[in-house]
Amino acid sequence: MRTHHFVETYERHLALSDNPVTWSWTGALLVGLVVLPFLVGGYALSIAIAIGIAVVGAIGLNLLTGVTGLISLGQAGFLAAGCYTTALLIDDYGWSTEPALLAAGVMSALLSLLVGIPSLRLKGLYLAITTMAFSFIVTHFLLYAESITHGPYGVRIEDLDFLGLDLGSARQLYYLVLAIALITTLAALNILRTRIGRAFMAVRDHDVAARVMGISLTRYKLFAFVTSSFIVGIAGGLMAFQFRFINVDIFTVLLSVEALAMIIVGGLGSVAGAILGAAFIVLLPEITRSLLDFLPAAAAEALSIHIFEIRGLLTGLAIIVMLRIEPHGLIGLWRQTKRYWTGWPLSV
Amino acid sequence: MTAILTLDTVSKRFGGLVAVDQVSFSVPDGAIYSVIGPNGAGKTTLFNLISALFRPSEGAITFDGHRIEQARTHQLAGFGIGRTFQNLAIFSHSTVVENLLVGLHHRLKANLLTSALFWGPARREEVAARRKVEEIIDFLEIQHLRDTPVGLLSYGLQKRVELGRALATEPRLLLLDEMVSGMNSEETEDIARFILDLREAFGTTVVMVEHDMGIVMDISDRIAVLNHGALIAEGTPAEISGNQAVLEAYLGKA
Ligand SMILES: Nc1ncnc2c1ncn2[C@@H]1O[C@H](COP(=O)(O)OP(=O)(O)O)[C@@H](O)[C@H]1O
Ligand SMILES: [Mg+2]
Repeated sequence: MRTHHFVETYERHLALSDNPVTWSWTGALLVGLVVLPFLVGGYALSIAIAIGIAVVGAIGLNLLTGVTGLISLGQAGFLAAGCYTTALLIDDYGWSTEPALLAAGVMSALLSLLVGIPSLRLKGLYLAITTMAFSFIVTHFLLYAESITHGPYGVRIEDLDFLGLDLGSARQLYYLVLAIALITTLAALNILRTRIGRAFMAVRDHDVAARVMGISLTRYKLFAFVTSSFIVGIAGGLMAFQFRFINVDIFTVLLSVEALAMIIVGGLGSVAGAILGAAFIVLLPEITRSLLDFLPAAAAEALSIHIFEIRGLLTGLAIIVMLRIEPHGLIGLWRQTKRYWTGWPLSV
Repeated sequence: MTAILTLDTVSKRFGGLVAVDQVSFSVPDGAIYSVIGPNGAGKTTLFNLISALFRPSEGAITFDGHRIEQARTHQLAGFGIGRTFQNLAIFSHSTVVENLLVGLHHRLKANLLTSALFWGPARREEVAARRKVEEIIDFLEIQHLRDTPVGLLSYGLQKRVELGRALATEPRLLLLDEMVSGMNSEETEDIARFILDLREAFGTTVVMVEHDMGIVMDISDRIAVLNHGALIAEGTPAEISGNQAVLEAYLGKA
C-alpha cells in the first residue's frame, strides 16, 4: 500500500534534527556557552577562544578532507594566509577589522585555487604532500618577502574593535569567536543537507558514479577547496585577533597534523565530530599539564621541558587510539553510547 | 519508430586490443533493448562509450539527434541518459534517501551561497526533491529502508537502490549493466517488472546487458549480440534465438 506523505513531513525530514531532545540539549549547550565568560577565569577563557577558533578551522578542513575525501596537510598554510592577510591589512594598510577578516577568507580561498587546480588529478598521499608543499611555500614567502610581510619580525596589531566589540577584552573576543563558530557550524550543516554537500560526498565515495549523476569532478573539487579554505582563512584571521602578535613560527606542519587529528578523532565527515575533535585536541595539552601536577616535582619539571614533543606524541597517540577503538571518532562513540542507552536495558 | 540512440561504426581500442569493433545499431524510442554476448565481448565497454566515460577510437554516437561521443561524462545526466554499473557503484556511506537525492543533482539549482543559507529557493527545491525521492522509494518498494546506510543492505537491495538513483536523474535512456546477475529468481522478476512499469509509466527506453536469458527473451523488443567486440547478430528475440551464428558463437558455448 502507498503511504501518503504530506509536505509537512518533507519539511520535517529536512530539519537539522526533528528530535526535541537534541534541540533541548543544543539549547542548554548554547546557554552554557553564552554564560561561560562569567563563570571562568582569564586562562580558561583564552582556552575557550582557542577552541572556538580551532572549531572553525576544523569544520573547514572537514569539508575538504572528511566530506570530499581530499586529504590536506596544508591547513597551516591556509591559516597562515588568513592570519597574515588580516594582520597586515590592519597594521600596514589601515583597514578596519571587519573587511580585514573577510579578506582573510578570500585570500585563503584564492590561494586554494592555486593548489587545487594543478592537483585535480591527485588523490590520497600525493595530494597530502602537495598541500604540505603549498604550506611550506606560504611560510617561506612569509619569512622572506620581508617588505610585504615583515619577515622574521612578525606583525603586531593593537586596539581592535569589531562591530562595536572591543577585542582587547577577552570576553568580547570570546563572543565574536563564538558567533563565528556558530555561523560556520550552521553553514556547514546546511551545505551538507543540500546538493552541494551531497556532491562532495559522491566525489569522495565513488567518483565515476558521481560523474554519471551529472557531477563535474573539476567543479566540485574546486568548490570543496574554495569553501574549505575560505572558512580556514577566517579561522586564521581570528588567530590574528587572539594573538595580537603573529609570527611565522606558529604555522608548522604540526599545526596541520593537529587539524587532521581533530577531524579524525572527532569523526571524519561529521560537523559535530569536527567540533568535538577540535575541543579534544586543544584540551589535550591542558589535561596533560594538570596530570603532570600529580607527578613528583622533579619528574614534572623534566617532562615540562619537553612539553612540545609530548604534545606531538599525544596527538599521534590520540589518532591511533581513536582509529583502533572507534573508526567513526568521538561522534561515533557518542552515537554508540546513545544507541546503548536508548536500548537499555535490552541492549545489556 | 524513431531511433533514440544510434551507434555508427563505433570502435574502441585499448592498445592492441579491439574491445569494440565497428559496431552499428539503432535503439528505437521506448524500446527494451538487450545487448548480450560472452564475458569480455565488449558490452561494458560499449556502455562506457555511450555514457561518455570513454571516447570511441572511431565512429559516431547519436542520442536524440545530438552527437554525444565527445561529450563530458557529467553532461550525460542532463541530456537524459542514466545508467547503473556491473560492479556496484553506490555511495555506501550515505543512506538510501541520500543516494537517490544525488541522482537529482543536475535538476537542482542551489549554489554554494544559497546552500549555506538554506533559505528560499534552496529550501523549496529540497522539499520538492524529497517528494520526488519518495515517489521512487514507493515505486521500488523500499519504504522501510529509507534511512539505512546503503553499505549495510544486501547485494540485491543495493542494486535496487542503484537503479533508483539512476531513475532519479529522470532518464529518457536507461543503461542497465548486468542488473540481475547475482540476484535470486524473485529479485530478478521484481527487476523485470520494474523495467516494464518504467516504460509503461514514463516511456523510458531501456538498454540492458544481461546474461540471464530468461529475462532477455521475455521482455526485450530487440537484441544485439556481441562477440569479440563485433556485432554478430541483431533482431527480435525470435530472430536471435534461431540465429545460427549466435548459437555457435554464444549459446552453443554457454
Ligand atoms: N579500461 C580498459 N583498459 C584496457 N582494456 C579494457 C578496459 N576495459 C575493458 N577492457 C578489455 O576490453 C574487453 C571487453 O571488456 P568488457 O567490455 O568489460 O566486456 P563485457 O562487459 O562484455 O564482459 C576485455 O578484453 C577487457 O579486458
Ligand atoms: Mg561487462
